[in-house]
Amino acid sequence: MRGDDRLTRGRGRYTADLRVDGCLEAAFVRSPVPHADLLGVDTTTARTLPGVAAILTADDLTDVGDVPTMFGTDDSPPWRPLATDRVRHEGEAVAVVIADDRYRAEDAAAAVRLDLHRRPGHAAPGRADRLYPDHDDLALEKEFGPPVADTTWQEAHVVIDSRYRQQLLAPTSLEARAILVEPGSPLTVHCSHQFPHGLRTGIAGALGLAEDDVRVIVPDAGGAFGSKSPTYPEYLAVVAAARDLGRPVRWVEDRTEALTASSRGRGQDQHVRIAADVDGRILAIDLQVDADIGAHPLGAALPGQTALAASEAYAVPEVHATVRSWFTTTAPTYAYRGAGRPEAAYAVERAVDELAAELGLDPAELRRRNLVRDFPYDTPTGRRYDSGDYAACLDRCLELLEPDRWRGERERPTGVGIACYVERSGGEPGILEEYGSVTVEPAGFTGRVGTSSTGQPHRTVFAQLVADRLGVPADVVDLVEGDTGEVPEGHGTFASRSTQMGGAALAGAADALIDEARLQAAARWGLSSGDVAWDKGVLRAGTRELPVAELAPLHAEHRFTSPPAFPYGSYGVVVEVDPDLGAVTLLRLVAVDDYGTVLDHTATHGQTLGSIAQGLGQVLTEGVVLDDEGATVMPDGLLDYLLPTAAEMPRDLRVDETAVPAPDNPLGVKGAGEAGCIGVPPAVVNAVADAIRPLGGDPSRLRMPLTPSVVWEAMQP
Amino acid sequence: MELDVNGTRHEVTVEPRRALADVLREDLGLTGTHLGCEHGVCGTCTVLLDGEPVRSCLVLAVQATGHEVRTVEGLADDDPLPGVFAEHHALQCGFCTPGFLMLLRGALDEDPTVVDDDDRLDALLASNLCRCTGYEGIRNAARAAGTRPD
Ligand code: FES
Ligand code: FES
Repeated sequence: MRGDDRLTRGRGRYTADLRVDGCLEAAFVRSPVPHADLLGVDTTTARTLPGVAAILTADDLTDVGDVPTMFGTDDSPPWRPLATDRVRHEGEAVAVVIADDRYRAEDAAAAVRLDLHRRPGHAAPGRADRLYPDHDDLALEKEFGPPVADTTWQEAHVVIDSRYRQQLLAPTSLEARAILVEPGSPLTVHCSHQFPHGLRTGIAGALGLAEDDVRVIVPDAGGAFGSKSPTYPEYLAVVAAARDLGRPVRWVEDRTEALTASSRGRGQDQHVRIAADVDGRILAIDLQVDADIGAHPLGAALPGQTALAASEAYAVPEVHATVRSWFTTTAPTYAYRGAGRPEAAYAVERAVDELAAELGLDPAELRRRNLVRDFPYDTPTGRRYDSGDYAACLDRCLELLEPDRWRGERERPTGVGIACYVERSGGEPGILEEYGSVTVEPAGFTGRVGTSSTGQPHRTVFAQLVADRLGVPADVVDLVEGDTGEVPEGHGTFASRSTQMGGAALAGAADALIDEARLQAAARWGLSSGDVAWDKGVLRAGTRELPVAELAPLHAEHRFTSPPAFPYGSYGVVVEVDPDLGAVTLLRLVAVDDYGTVLDHTATHGQTLGSIAQGLGQVLTEGVVLDDEGATVMPDGLLDYLLPTAAEMPRDLRVDETAVPAPDNPLGVKGAGEAGCIGVPPAVVNAVADAIRPLGGDPSRLRMPLTPSVVWEAMQP
Repeated sequence: MELDVNGTRHEVTVEPRRALADVLREDLGLTGTHLGCEHGVCGTCTVLLDGEPVRSCLVLAVQATGHEVRTVEGLADDDPLPGVFAEHHALQCGFCTPGFLMLLRGALDEDPTVVDDDDRLDALLASNLCRCTGYEGIRNAARAAGTRPD
């Protein structure tokens, strides 16, 4: 991929690698407790320590606006960049120390004294003692689809009634958050970020600047997975410090901060009910989500994604979902790879598996009887599935899984599990548009697009796309993104939208460029543009020809809009459970996804594998551990928050695709970034449930992560 | 103190508490060595100390004096590892890459057969974390590097 030769030689430029003369370092003073009145901040000693340039508290930021929420509520309580009179989660920033060196900044941060009067904290969703005086602890409540009729439940042959927990996950890009701010006009912000134009808007808004007075540049970025799209409070504090001091300031987050103070994903208590008839036809699904959204409504509305997805892959006449988002005294819950869809797939696919067990039906057969087959399909909770052949995808998965091979006598308890999912890619109204442009320069072509890579090979895939569209070699196409000074508008990279939206925008821009070039050549030659042909970068009419470079500078833009797309997939897993220890080993993992038309198989394969690994993380090892009041109990950092290593990856991993083109996308493309996170967790838990049922175990006791002790306890008769 | 990095001697003045990683990155400008956790778990900061992979976030710079430090910038031009990493798509964001490269360089120098056995290879690679790739490309690149002449 483009750029790999730099990255493999240590010549990457991540935010923390940038060298700017006179740059100061920021370190934050953070609340050590989940909830307290903040009675005072004593910086007297800290200010006298060597190297300290400034210490800012809330009093110094009164002219800075509130932190913008990304998926907040209509009536979000104000969120200040530095806490004023209360701290509402462990790790909430209270002050920022600016010093000439990170060690000295941290020394001074440790010397700042906080006068705190503790209040009770609450980690679990539910009503507590009013985190905000003027707001209920229920930040948002929303209902999707008409309620299921009472008679449906009464007349059903079987009703499954299950409760699941989506544990909080720490996104944990290996590069944590990082920002470097250079004051001046424009104010220049280098930041590891997924949504540079959003960050520009957020900073400009909070500082009372015009958007043009802020330039956001995303250098190499070390992963993001949904967590790097907000304008975080720390960013506003660092910007204010750079502005006040007239010096560049950077903040490089450390891992402890990332695990305690940064946003997390998932965080839902789920109650699912499914009604079915004697043949296993699903009659109704009711999904109730109680989400713990943390202390600030950064992602309060995101659980709505779970509700919208409550039909999953099934044609079910009655589907109803309710979401209640609760403030809790812990760091904000926000987007993490999948953002609402893994939660829905887990709830529905676990319950569907319980239904199959209850009816004594093969789980694949039960699913097949209920799959959506006619498109477009409108779900009762408000989605319009665009296209697909869900049954073909499931069949391919079973072919690769070979479920029967694992039945019969085996040395250890063995289980087979499957899960189907449908997800939404491209985003929601408001971001279902993207900017692309193509410019002819004497030396070649430059594509510009409003997405922002945090590790995805956009430069390779998009340059190739533009080159193919223009019929020129890829090496004459340069691709620029992640710089608001270069790209006028954009919606960034999340919701698996980049290729679907950004790719389509670039394709449109390339087409527009060809049209414009033909027009201009025609004008030169006194012809009509219909007489001029575009031939691999050369304009031709009869014997005349004109290389497009001679028309430089020539520029064309395209703003692409479309409804979302609906990728889907079927996952299958075979597990073996250690009967003495409860440890789970994956003997095989099958992933069959439909991403529509695939532009670059290597790139999507990489996304699939990476999201599978993160799905395995959720189901097997990862979980933010909190006490009841919301304080993190992970003293050893990444030794407590366990990311999957190479040793956890199954060796028998079978990845395949079906490819039903997306009807609403000119390239036929659907999003591909999040599939594995969605499909893997329910498939693995279903497989473990299958393994322990014959032993008299109780699958309802299985909860993620499936640590050996969880599995061991669930398998005891 | 003196520090021997990638065959060059450097005179640096450092506080005793300063981590080797910070001296490499901030004082010598060798930013190819990354910091992913700063507490010894992720391995992104792996460098070679007298040929042995170590976590430079856990080594004090003063401990490295009198030893040879090698970072990703010091990999030989004809070292096959960077090329096979690119070829096998062993990286996405690339943040973990220098750590894996140095881990493998150290391990292959000690025993080139370590990558030939799946269990030994996974045990080795499990020393470091990658959040993006799912490790398949890293495994494949490691195997390929082992079978190629240095
Ligand atoms: S930064 Fe040294 S091991 Fe993570
Ligand atoms: S490539 Fe991103 S952490 Fe490994």
